[in-house]
Amino acid sequence: MSVAVKAGMAEYFASNPDVKYILFGGKGGLGKTTLSAATAYWLASREKRVCVFSTDPQASLSDIFERKVFGQGEVELAANLYAVEIDADRRIAEYQEEIRKKIKDMYKMETIPEEVEDYINSSAAEPAMAESATFDAMVELMTAGKFDYYVFDMMPHGHAIRFLGMADILDQWVEKIVSVRKKAGEYGEAATVMGSKGSLAQEDLVLKELEYIRGRLDFVSTMVRDRKHTAFFYVLIPELMPILDTRKALEMFREFNVTVSGVVVNQVYPKELKDQPDVPVFLKNKISSQQEYVKQIQSEFGSLIKGIVPMLDREPKGMKMISNVADILYGS
Amino acid sequence: MGKKEAPTEPKKQSEVAKAAKGFFYGMALHGMVTYALRLRMHMENLFMLITMGDMLGIPVLPPYYSLRLLPYAVPSLKTWKQTLLRDRDITDSLY
Repeated sequence: MSVAVKAGMAEYFASNPDVKYILFGGKGGLGKTTLSAATAYWLASREKRVCVFSTDPQASLSDIFERKVFGQGEVELAANLYAVEIDADRRIAEYQEEIRKKIKDMYKMETIPEEVEDYINSSAAEPAMAESATFDAMVELMTAGKFDYYVFDMMPHGHAIRFLGMADILDQWVEKIVSVRKKAGEYGEAATVMGSKGSLAQEDLVLKELEYIRGRLDFVSTMVRDRKHTAFFYVLIPELMPILDTRKALEMFREFNVTVSGVVVNQVYPKELKDQPDVPVFLKNKISSQQEYVKQIQSEFGSLIKGIVPMLDREPKGMKMISNVADILYGS
Repeated sequence: MGKKEAPTEPKKQSEVAKAAKGFFYGMALHGMVTYALRLRMHMENLFMLITMGDMLGIPVLPPYYSLRLLPYAVPSLKTWKQTLLRDRDITDSLY
């Protein structure tokens, strides 16, 4: 490779020994899943307990590892190497049932009022629902703390960022609600005359729920911003759109105080190919265009580049190929 | 007459006290209490909007989490929706 990687992935982990959560972000189809799998494989080979988790609805850990992982919980793939792929639809269905039961129990109802039922059903149809459900599962996995490393194959473009904003808004709300509750207490006696007692107990429960939700959102927003324990890698390939996307993403992350630990350039055609005899013009052009973009990436992202992975001659599927990618990315 | 009145004196007195209490409450506190309750109602409406907003097409809280709060909102859903979706006009407050 002509492009020098000053300090690669292995060096990153060596100089950041406290890192526990590893996130791979980037546009769809650039190899986030492959690089996540390779990273998890490498860490597991160093005798650490690793869980690789896909938050992408089009997740493909099952395909990459050639094992059914989807909706199976924590699946052990090799020594120390586990994978999780959430069946968001099933999780949502179970969750909805839980909510229905709670409403029935709380109000001693036989059936759920129509408009409430409608709301429960329609909420499942929202795309954000699957994302939130996956995120919730992700937090659950991290808080359980069973692993040394958690590698997350993130969904395209930071939904996590929405969560960052969310946590802040919710923080303000919890504060507001607490102050309103206090104010209500000041007028306590008079309010009792007006017959507005009784809702206070429920309000405490609501507050508890809010605290729980805030805890969940806070966990994500703290984790993503925590430079000591979290590594955030952005994946791109030497093409215009991914470069633009990465530039935008880096700007957005900066706004939210999220530091990107590095970028990994994937699917780079070996430059040497070009000089071989009988190389079709098509391929030659492709390689030249890629080399131009590699230069651009080099000048724009410079020391952020933590790895360059060549285009492989076959799809990276199965343990053998993943181990190959790990060797390329981390050096054998 | 005067003899009969004597035993009921304490009762009457307490009634007077009650009336006075009501009177002073009305004068001093009623406005404040109504104001507090009104404030509370507005806060509650806002809270509902933040948590259940996606019901009306205003998504704020991720729906996964608003579902958690839904059970508590069940009793006030109808009135809240009516309050928010009601047509309002400045003349409403004049007449």
